[in-house]
Amino acid sequence: MLGETERAALRIVHVGERKPPDAELLERLRLAAPALDGSTVEVRTGEPAAEILLAAGEVKPRLIVMCTHTAAKPGKVLGNTATNVLRHAPCPVVLVPPGHGLSAWHLHHVLVPHDGTPTTSAALRPAAELAERASAELLVAHVTDIGAAPAEAGSLTTPRYVDQPQHEWPAWTSEFVKRLACVCPLGHLHVRLVLARGNPAAEIVRLAKKQSTDLVVLAWRGKWEVPHAATLKAILHKARCPIMVLRA
Amino acid sequence: MNARQAALHPTDLPVAPTLDPAWVLVEEGFTLAREHELESLFAIGNGYAGSRGSLAEGSALSSPATFLAGVFDSEAGPISGLAPTADWTRLSATIDGQPLRLDNGHNLEHRRVLDMQQGILWREWRHQNVAGRIIRVQMLRLASLADRHLLLQCATISPENYNGRVSIDAALTGTVTELTGSSTTVAMAVAGQVVDSAGRWMGSPQQIIGQPSLEVRLGETYRLDRMVAVYTSRDTGEPREMASRQVERAIEDVNGVIAAHRDAWLARWKASDLRIEGDPAAQRALRFAIYHLSSAANPEDERVSIGARGLSGTAYKGHVFWDTDIFMLPFFILTYPEAARALVMYRYHTLSGARAKAARLGYRGALYAWESADTGEEMTPPFVVSPDGEIVRILTGEQEHHISADVAFGVWKYWEATVDERFLVDAGAESLIETARFWASRAEREDDGRYHIRGIIGPDEYHETVDDNAYTNGLAQWNLEVGEEVTRLVAERWPEQWRALSRRLGLEAEEPHRWLQVARELYTGFDEQTGLFEQFRGYFGLEDIDLAAFAARTAPMDVLLGRERIKRSKIIKQADVVMLIHLLWERLPPEVRKANFEYYEPRCGHGSSLSPAIHALVAARLGDAARAERHFRQASEIDLSDNMGTRLAAFMLELSADCGRPQCSALLACASPTRGPSIAQTYRQAGAACRCDFSGGVDGTKSSFQKAARGVGQQGMIHERSVNPRPPRRFGASTGGAAGGKGARRDRASGPAYCSRRRA
Repeated sequence: MLGETERAALRIVHVGERKPPDAELLERLRLAAPALDGSTVEVRTGEPAAEILLAAGEVKPRLIVMCTHTAAKPGKVLGNTATNVLRHAPCPVVLVPPGHGLSAWHLHHVLVPHDGTPTTSAALRPAAELAERASAELLVAHVTDIGAAPAEAGSLTTPRYVDQPQHEWPAWTSEFVKRLACVCPLGHLHVRLVLARGNPAAEIVRLAKKQSTDLVVLAWRGKWEVPHAATLKAILHKARCPIMVLRA
Repeated sequence: MNARQAALHPTDLPVAPTLDPAWVLVEEGFTLAREHELESLFAIGNGYAGSRGSLAEGSALSSPATFLAGVFDSEAGPISGLAPTADWTRLSATIDGQPLRLDNGHNLEHRRVLDMQQGILWREWRHQNVAGRIIRVQMLRLASLADRHLLLQCATISPENYNGRVSIDAALTGTVTELTGSSTTVAMAVAGQVVDSAGRWMGSPQQIIGQPSLEVRLGETYRLDRMVAVYTSRDTGEPREMASRQVERAIEDVNGVIAAHRDAWLARWKASDLRIEGDPAAQRALRFAIYHLSSAANPEDERVSIGARGLSGTAYKGHVFWDTDIFMLPFFILTYPEAARALVMYRYHTLSGARAKAARLGYRGALYAWESADTGEEMTPPFVVSPDGEIVRILTGEQEHHISADVAFGVWKYWEATVDERFLVDAGAESLIETARFWASRAEREDDGRYHIRGIIGPDEYHETVDDNAYTNGLAQWNLEVGEEVTRLVAERWPEQWRALSRRLGLEAEEPHRWLQVARELYTGFDEQTGLFEQFRGYFGLEDIDLAAFAARTAPMDVLLGRERIKRSKIIKQADVVMLIHLLWERLPPEVRKANFEYYEPRCGHGSSLSPAIHALVAARLGDAARAERHFRQASEIDLSDNMGTRLAAFMLELSADCGRPQCSALLACASPTRGPSIAQTYRQAGAACRCDFSGGVDGTKSSFQKAARGVGQQGMIHERSVNPRPPRRFGASTGGAAGGKGARRDRASGPAYCSRRRA
């Protein structure tokens, strides 16, 4: 589905200890042969993350789509392979929870958490383009919580003062979307802004479920070690839909 | 917003920028996402016209707009808003086929400077295009304070390393007229000239603009002047002709127009500057507030007022709130009584709308619109879709009735300070009487023998539809008493005018006595045991939430906790009882002021930008230096911190918030009440390590008032009257209280601390 939306050729990379026979490969991929029309399958052997990144370096893909993990490990939100690919991928990565890939999937609702910074706006461009090509709704979620606002110039967070909500909120909503649009062209996208409060990860997961979200898009600043990426990790752990991670 | 030295290069323009960093706001570089914010902060205005500080050539996030006070557009629906008029600031250039833009090529230098001392927006820009050609651009923009119909833009271009051709494109040339949705005709006439560095006239913009004919040479500077004259059908029956004639005259003397404008600003500052030594940030913040307040005032038009965000943007739609009467007006009373008069006269001219609103809700007298535009009709939107998708009913237009007492308070303070008797007799008395009449019909006597005001919203808008809000009842009581006083005053001193007025208003002789009775028996929520006012019935039983746990918040408490939770809590949106203390300071004994401040201050979430300044002021008057400074800092940082906060499309004054901004006015409120201390006193009381003073000084202010009074006297209306003509009356328990009738009876009998002093 993503490949169709992106009008991109699908390249399936399978990495194993050995090259399996074709029939076994299809069974492992759980794909019927017709599903591979227009796609190519590449089988590699070696360390999976390294091989996937190597392949990505060769074909310069628009997206990498992969499973978050194959076997759940306590305390880990991503498997080693997904973690390494995510940290070093040259392009956005879509992480799909195990089992999700087998169900029918359509892109109608894209949820984009936004911290109000221009950096995040700029990072979201591929997601906006994807949503527009899929004619999907872009739901931008700003979660406010106690704590310092981003220091980046041009950031727009929840207003500290709301003197008259009948004027402040429409103005703030409009301004938020305009600031996003001036950095990340929104074209004819249907954009909706939602303000939530509380723990950002919990709110995003809640909104994703409530809004029947097909894809959550997260801008990530590239640091993985604790204490960084806490929200990203929590969402990866809890969300039940695919998650696209973009480098901010 | 940093405070760096403006550091503009020597200008080729006919006026030099102010270099003193205490007088300028400087924005270096270019951050696209901040454009709306900067447009609001850098707005220029003169009370008649206001223009956002947009980039002349535009950007992906530019919203240039010019607004004219009193020109609303009602076509879009029942809630009219300020109508943007033609964009006279649009000006762009193409150099050898390359558009001159910030997002095209390399910006070697770029800064914008708001020169508050001279009321000029400056811009300097060195740009290198992809071909390596460097050009230096300087611009100034002003809205003349000397002649409010004139707007001026000057731009110079200096090629630094090439000879070439420049094409100039301006969206507006000649004379244009437009009809707004409220059937106001706006005429804008543009005239211009282009001169070279030797002052040689090179042609009119009509000859130059749009033509790739301007040959520029290395080392030469070329200047374009664009003079704009604006008139509307509100001003004259021939706006087009007036605009055309005026602009033709003005373009002949650009330097004279600039000089007159600068002199007018210097005169404004002479009357209103507030100097703080040792605290540059506070100094700049105060001047910023004064600049935008002065930019929003127009003493020449008493049919317009100052919207919550002035003329700096579309936010708040140009609507007028209690901000004007309670927060802005005191500043003008002290520094610009002519402008203050226009503001209180606006309330007189909109009395018919206030009467209609009162009648519609089943009351007598005048209930002013919570949001007022040109007619005085209620303009509060009935609903809003909040960002969490909830459709929220807005009740302020129906229930926030303290606006009528706020208007009366402003009217009375203006009268007290200026002794403008013509105003009082011709207009002010009518406003005071009609608002008193409203309260007498609004309060209802109940079985406990007291009058109550139920189903109300006080300044604390987190709690809606409450009973007996302390601020509302306190101001209503004051309004009723002053209403009665003004009937006696006018009847005694101007009997002929009084007969005409009372006949016209249908005022029976016993009606003012009834006002006093209502005032006397109006429930105030005062508890003698604790010395506290209960903010409204049942407030003390609500959930106490410790705001200290939310000290690091950057969002308002109702957003963090949700509307329903906040309603069940004691958290307050803004000064309510504290506001009552501030306004009726002399009616309250010191221990009551202190007890209430100590109780309510920790429970205030400051969800309104109006709140911190009032807390700063009351804290300072109570001698609490630490809290006074903390709240003052918070107030002073509202607009100038880099977090946009409320500063959206109409500088809350959008602020764009848009400015005339509530923040500005709130900040200035520290310096303004006629009976309160000046900011200088505030600082002295707070023991702050800085010194501040009105440049005009208190004496200068008095002189201004005396001058105004003399002016009235020359028209045969003057009589001697002190600024504070009568001793303060005490406020509180004699007119009701949480303790019930017992305490009140005792108060009436023995006249203890909180007993109203009844006049003979």
